[in-house]
Amino acid sequence: MRERNVMLVHYVSGIGILVFGAVHLFTVFFTKPLGETIWETTMLFEGHQFAVLEVYRNALLATSLWFLLLFTTIHALNGLRVIITELFPVPVVRTASKYVLFALGVFLMVYGTRTIIIAHMIG
Amino acid sequence: MRTVRLTVYRFDPTSDERPRYASYEVPYRSGMTVLDSLLYVKEKLDHTLAIRYSCRMGICGSCGMTVNGLPRLACYTQVKEVGWRIKVEPLKNHPLVRDLVTDFTDFFRKYKSMRPWLIRTDAEEQENPTKQYTQSDAELERYIQFSYCISCGLCYAACPVVTALPEFPGPQALASLYRFLADTRDHGRRERLRIVDEAVGLWRCHFAGSCSQVCPKGVDPALAIQLLRREAMRG
Ligand code: SF4
Ligand code: FES
Repeated sequence: MRERNVMLVHYVSGIGILVFGAVHLFTVFFTKPLGETIWETTMLFEGHQFAVLEVYRNALLATSLWFLLLFTTIHALNGLRVIITELFPVPVVRTASKYVLFALGVFLMVYGTRTIIIAHMIG
Repeated sequence: MRTVRLTVYRFDPTSDERPRYASYEVPYRSGMTVLDSLLYVKEKLDHTLAIRYSCRMGICGSCGMTVNGLPRLACYTQVKEVGWRIKVEPLKNHPLVRDLVTDFTDFFRKYKSMRPWLIRTDAEEQENPTKQYTQSDAELERYIQFSYCISCGLCYAACPVVTALPEFPGPQALASLYRFLADTRDHGRRERLRIVDEAVGLWRCHFAGSCSQVCPKGVDPALAIQLLRREAMRG
């Protein structure tokens, strides 16, 4: 993949984090989309051990969380790649780091998606 | 008579164990530049001092050095401007040859890799032109500022990315590439973008802006790099 495309994805994912991060914060802090009771059980943990799971019940919110996970993973891992590129001017380290970071990204996405789906189903 | 106190970096890697600083008192005269004061040292006080210069008027770009911590052209810098105590060191990011002389081999290799000439796909037409090739003022404006570069390497010495990542082409090379990319007579757009669209290329600039701060010719390489990024995004 050309560096131009990688950086385009990097910038778009940065904007994505802003948008979906804002949606996430907005829904959690400024609105009560799931009703007063759920808001309270989610945020205040009044004796509900898994109260936070209520957020995942709403399919739209769960999907927005998935996008937040996707954009954060892409942006953070590409940021790490850039840092490694600049810190270690050794081709073998750079190539190895690319594969390691890609594998880490796949792991984070698979594990995160699985968590969101499970939370949605039992939320 | 007013004197200038010069503290000069001295090091010959072929014979000295470590660098040292030598001090010289130079009588000031009106209009004296840092290069004039160094030439006084070389002529009257210590002829072993190594410096490089040629035109003495800010055109050849060969007298770059670090003056009181900043990359400057010695012939372009008035003593009055920098003070009566002047510390002179070689340019950073360029390997040292001796004293104040640095090696520009890598710098020019990177410059050359940008193919700093007009690339044309019509060789026959170039040999036997059938018409006049004109450019409007607006077309000239797109690149004229970047063509003022004298390859003095001050921007390269000031660039923190070159310090951290020696493979980085540097501000001068990238600005020179943009100079030709923005020229309507050039046919090498794709080829040029391919040269810099690399992991250690155009995108590694952190926009510190120090290159533009130190450029004695007002080239503004940082601007060229941003414009080049825009062109690269357009593809
Ligand atoms: S861009 Fe300016 S500082 Fe850099 S080499 Fe050209 S003239 Fe010198
Ligand atoms: S001697 Fe030519 S630029 Fe200074």
